[in-house]
Amino acid sequence: MESQASTKENHKKDLSKFYLLEPDYDRPIFEMPKNTQEKIMEKLEFLYGKEEAERSFQDVERIMKVHYAYKPPEMIEQERGFDPSERFSEKDVILITYGDLIRGDDQLPLEVLADFADRYLKGGINTLHILPFFPYSSDRGFAIIDFEEVDPRLGTWEDIEALKVHSRLMFDGVFNHISSKSRWFQEFLDANPEYQGFFITFSTKGAISEDHLKLIVRPRVSELLTPVSTLDGKQSVWTTFSPDQIDLNFKNPKVLLKMAEILLTYVRRGADIIRLDAVTYLWSELGTSCVHLEQTHLVIKLFRDIFDAVAPNVAIITETNVPHEENIQYFGDGYDEAQMVYNFALPPLVLQAFQNGSSAHLTKWASGLEQVSNEATYFNFLDSHDGIGVSPVKNILSKEEIEMMALHVLEHGGFISYKDNGDGTVSPYELNITWYSAINREDSDESEDLQIKRFIASRSIAMVMMGVPGIYLPSLFGSRNDADAVIEKGETRSINRKTYRKESLFARLDDTDGSAYKVSRGMGKIIRARIREKAFHPNAAQQVLHISEEVFAIVRTSVDKKERILAITNIVDKVQEFRIEAKEIGGQKEITCRDILSGKDFISSEGRLSLSLEPYEVLWLKCS
Amino acid sequence: MVFKTREESDGKVVVIECPVRVDLSVAKDLREIMKESTELDKFLLVVDMDKTEFMDSSGLGALVSRIAVTRSNSGDVRLACVKEPILKLLELTHLDKIFQSFESVQAAVDSFDV
Repeated sequence: MESQASTKENHKKDLSKFYLLEPDYDRPIFEMPKNTQEKIMEKLEFLYGKEEAERSFQDVERIMKVHYAYKPPEMIEQERGFDPSERFSEKDVILITYGDLIRGDDQLPLEVLADFADRYLKGGINTLHILPFFPYSSDRGFAIIDFEEVDPRLGTWEDIEALKVHSRLMFDGVFNHISSKSRWFQEFLDANPEYQGFFITFSTKGAISEDHLKLIVRPRVSELLTPVSTLDGKQSVWTTFSPDQIDLNFKNPKVLLKMAEILLTYVRRGADIIRLDAVTYLWSELGTSCVHLEQTHLVIKLFRDIFDAVAPNVAIITETNVPHEENIQYFGDGYDEAQMVYNFALPPLVLQAFQNGSSAHLTKWASGLEQVSNEATYFNFLDSHDGIGVSPVKNILSKEEIEMMALHVLEHGGFISYKDNGDGTVSPYELNITWYSAINREDSDESEDLQIKRFIASRSIAMVMMGVPGIYLPSLFGSRNDADAVIEKGETRSINRKTYRKESLFARLDDTDGSAYKVSRGMGKIIRARIREKAFHPNAAQQVLHISEEVFAIVRTSVDKKERILAITNIVDKVQEFRIEAKEIGGQKEITCRDILSGKDFISSEGRLSLSLEPYEVLWLKCS
Repeated sequence: MVFKTREESDGKVVVIECPVRVDLSVAKDLREIMKESTELDKFLLVVDMDKTEFMDSSGLGALVSRIAVTRSNSGDVRLACVKEPILKLLELTHLDKIFQSFESVQAAVDSFDV
């Protein structure tokens, strides 16, 4: 991204984006539409039975009325004209970051992030996904002590609000579990009756039969049950992820209501998108796999019902690191569950394509991707704070291909995390490596320019696919592996969680001879090109072309069918020459195309477009 | 060169003897030896760690630097005589699930069955 001078202009606050500080009960109270009432009641009845559903409904309705009373008139007016099919557009690019990935000397990290956004993201990236910024006890923020406070080491709610002036915000709803150091869990240990049903408890660690244990699908190899001492004696609690992350018991309607209330608190604090972390494991039922249960889907749908009624601008994104066909179940029917799902198969398939110099699997898979609805789309990320999940491609790549991909990652200085298969064996779960290092070998004799070209080529694929692209902040400047941190912290994920000093990072980003600048410039170029084109709208049609294994090619056609872009990426280090029929790009006979990245023109001859791509070259041909 | 190499099993297996410390200062040499071996179509490698007491992330990186190329050519990198601190490091980084480890160099060489 290009540097822009930091300004101290007095930004005019868009009142339609910010909630009131206190509810205004002098204005008309929210009245829940009848169909919303029915939808919510139906779900509560399925989850808790008729009697409990009626009680819980009253609470849900109250929570919604309270939320509505916080809305300024400008927001209510703005929501009247809201078009869900335009919730996401070509202008959306999401940056994933920890609140403290960049640290300064005299500022809190969220203030530093605001400076970074102001200086480097304007005119390109419009949405910030700030990974959990709440007080936590482990797992880099994902063992939350207090869902409703900002970690004072990062900043304050005012700092979050300041980020919203220029960006849309994505918050995490880490609702599957809570920290063992949280007040809720302490109340449970203290035998407070109000909190007894908040967790999934067993009298002993061995209370679950081996047969049941084998069925349960988990992404970790730690013990499922963690013994704890309470005022009433010893108990064991369900811990899907770690002994410090105690699963919440959604079978207790009080837990669901608390979470609905917290969700709406996040909305009032500025969330435009809520990421439901590890939502796959939300509802547990012995005798099942405890993943993707119908109850889990219903809880998400219930949250969607609430948002649709009182916060229609807010979208749900589900984080489900599972096989692709299971992952897309979280779209529901395209109108009733998540508006966006992580496109988990994309990162391993792009990586595999570049490792092997063959787009065969990527092309075949992408050809089968369909638009779910005009209100739901994919989150096309390649990297995040976690690793590159391999479960999503277990039905797309062979076991040997996955194993070879993992071995290549090791060769590139990365590591592998494993999951418990439930039968005493383990298998790769994710590949821990930075995207730049995954794509490039640090001990290679190649030129830096070629490696940067390869990196940008790989990133370009996520920019052109149907959906909204996401970028993990360190990839904006091509961060390399931090293997020392893995050994120091004993966590393979630490390889991609390095923190940066503001002054030195800004200096690197401004040094026109350095690789950080060159990578960020390349990233900025493709981002700015993307956000100008209607053909890259998430709802624009997508057609994958089968040209050769050495290239990945896709045609996107704008919703109004007036604009068309052929995006081609050379995924190998050799020149690729080929011809494409004009009709494949929607042309009648002859077509003229301009590469919107380089400005070069291409004209067809005898109905064919002759193209030559340099190693790792990317062409985005806008044709007419 | 602080690494010594020799060939076993009629030249089919390359044994690489590591020094006491395998760190940033020597990791490049280990990478180079492995690269040269594979470029000579020798894909059966044994890393003798009998003397090795310390390894850092650079050393680990070198150890796996040809793991894909050896295995995709029906070979492997196998470890021999790994001491406790290195074993712990391999467990910490999950590389213990990648490498077969043997109590002696001879056992590692024989495991290739060539």
